[in-house]
Amino acid sequence: MTGIVGSNFLKVDARDKVTGRAIYPDDIYFDDLLYVKVKRAPHPHAYLRKLDVSKAEELPGVVKVITATDYPDLNKFGLIIKDQPVLVGIGEKMRYLGDALAIVVAESREIATRALDLIRVEVEELEVISDPLRAMDDDAPAIHEDGNILITHYLDKGDVEKGFAGADIIVEREYRTQHIDQLPLQPEAGVGLYDEESGVIKLWVATQWLHDTQADIAQSLGLPREKVRIIQPAIGGAFGKREDISVHIHLALAAMATGRPVKLTYTREESMITQSKRHPMIIRAKTGATKDGYLTAWQVEVIGDAGAYASSSPAVVHKGMYHCTGPYNVENVRGVSHAVYTNNTYSGAMRGFGTTQMAFAYESQMDILAHELGLDPAQFRLQNAYQVGSLTPNGQVLSRSVNVRETIKKAIEMSDWKGVRVE
Amino acid sequence: MKITITVNGEKREVETTPSTRLLDLLRDDLHLTGTKEGCGKGECGACTVIMNGELVASCLVLSPQADGAEITTIEGLGTEEELDPIQEAYIEAGAVQCGFCIPGMVLASKKLLEENPQPDEGEIRRGLSGNICRCTGYQKIIDAVKLAAKKLAGTGKLAGAGKSRGKGGGR
Repeated sequence: MTGIVGSNFLKVDARDKVTGRAIYPDDIYFDDLLYVKVKRAPHPHAYLRKLDVSKAEELPGVVKVITATDYPDLNKFGLIIKDQPVLVGIGEKMRYLGDALAIVVAESREIATRALDLIRVEVEELEVISDPLRAMDDDAPAIHEDGNILITHYLDKGDVEKGFAGADIIVEREYRTQHIDQLPLQPEAGVGLYDEESGVIKLWVATQWLHDTQADIAQSLGLPREKVRIIQPAIGGAFGKREDISVHIHLALAAMATGRPVKLTYTREESMITQSKRHPMIIRAKTGATKDGYLTAWQVEVIGDAGAYASSSPAVVHKGMYHCTGPYNVENVRGVSHAVYTNNTYSGAMRGFGTTQMAFAYESQMDILAHELGLDPAQFRLQNAYQVGSLTPNGQVLSRSVNVRETIKKAIEMSDWKGVRVE
Repeated sequence: MKITITVNGEKREVETTPSTRLLDLLRDDLHLTGTKEGCGKGECGACTVIMNGELVASCLVLSPQADGAEITTIEGLGTEEELDPIQEAYIEAGAVQCGFCIPGMVLASKKLLEENPQPDEGEIRRGLSGNICRCTGYQKIIDAVKLAAKKLAGTGKLAGAGKSRGKGGGR
């Protein structure tokens, strides 16, 4: 393998990217291209009572305004649970500010944008739930039919009661993290083209799950998969944000409805309001340790704000919980995690997939414990850190490539950490 | 309305409107799509071009403001056969990831190296402070600028140093 691993290679598409020749979705043009804009929900939690698009349709240059009335048989979509509507219909609910009410197709970007303002919307407002703790109250209105707790997972290893009984010190704290946008530099964009003869929809659009996205679009439109073709251009960053459907189905509808090539590019604001975020989490951690600095028990309750739709929440929130002890050996662990619907922008995948939030909690717990025990926090970490043979909270034996102790030692060395004086 | 602009050395007459941004004119009308839109607010630097010798965010320039201007976009650097040394340096230093920020980064690097052929790390960081990379590739981008400075010193290609500079639109 010498010559491959450890060697530098020039990136295959770097030349196209430094010359500006690489084609990203928004760089694709057709002569008879139409521009698409989406009318979003004016309220984060409300019933749609009236939707009047007539003024928008009358605006010169507007080719088509699509609403749920035009496509009553569309299926919901989603990565794990199909709970997200393509278009909110009359009498249906909007659950966050990114929900789509209408799709405007026009001769220019400017006309499409102006048409959005001409669409009249009447809603019946409901209580807006922005806090997952409120969403979990018995008297909270249900955002989805089956209630606000999307999914609950449990974790049990050893005997935490015994572990806490054997502890000399127990630290119990609550940690909260915030929404973070992955913010790939290229906003969501794509071009769609419908070939009437073959019935194939071509989409030039970025995705992190090409075949899953193809399948999800197809089931949503009620088409066989071979009628949806996705062509992946250069991708201007993803970081988890491009796992979810964004412009895809709206582009397909616009292309089918007009028979012309269509382009939809989100503004940065639209990207922030509409597409996934890193989950805000409430993490309640209880950790026990002995006087000489060995962890005996760790208990955690995790509440992840899923926002309006499930996206990757069923996987992200409990993965976070599984990492509740970080890279430290703990014999006795118990956990519960809830992914909870709110009317916030939905949460999904982002680098780390739930573990990043947890790191804030477990490393804070480690610092507080070290401080209370009068131990050097680096030494305290080192003596509890995983080694080959360690058993993770969810029962995985770490059989190879466990380098956390070396990493800590190297970090001590590189940062010139002198330790804390224990008085 | 009609405006005249010189883009990458070529004089162009373009039909435009008072509300068209220079960014849209370059992309939609001239199909110079190397200039990117990341935020539309002059924050991210993806739409950076050089206008009358100054770095500008082309999303903040209205096309009539560019009437008579000389503009360099990423397509104006190097030739089909031979890349600009700055472009070469970006490839060799591994500074390119998703690439969406790279046209703006390369142009900001060009402007920096024209004014300061041997910048230190702090000066490089300041020179690129108007450009955001979200793949977090900054370290290698800084390496690329250092490498470009070396290459340019070697070839004597300190293009444009001392060129007259126009007003307006600067970041």
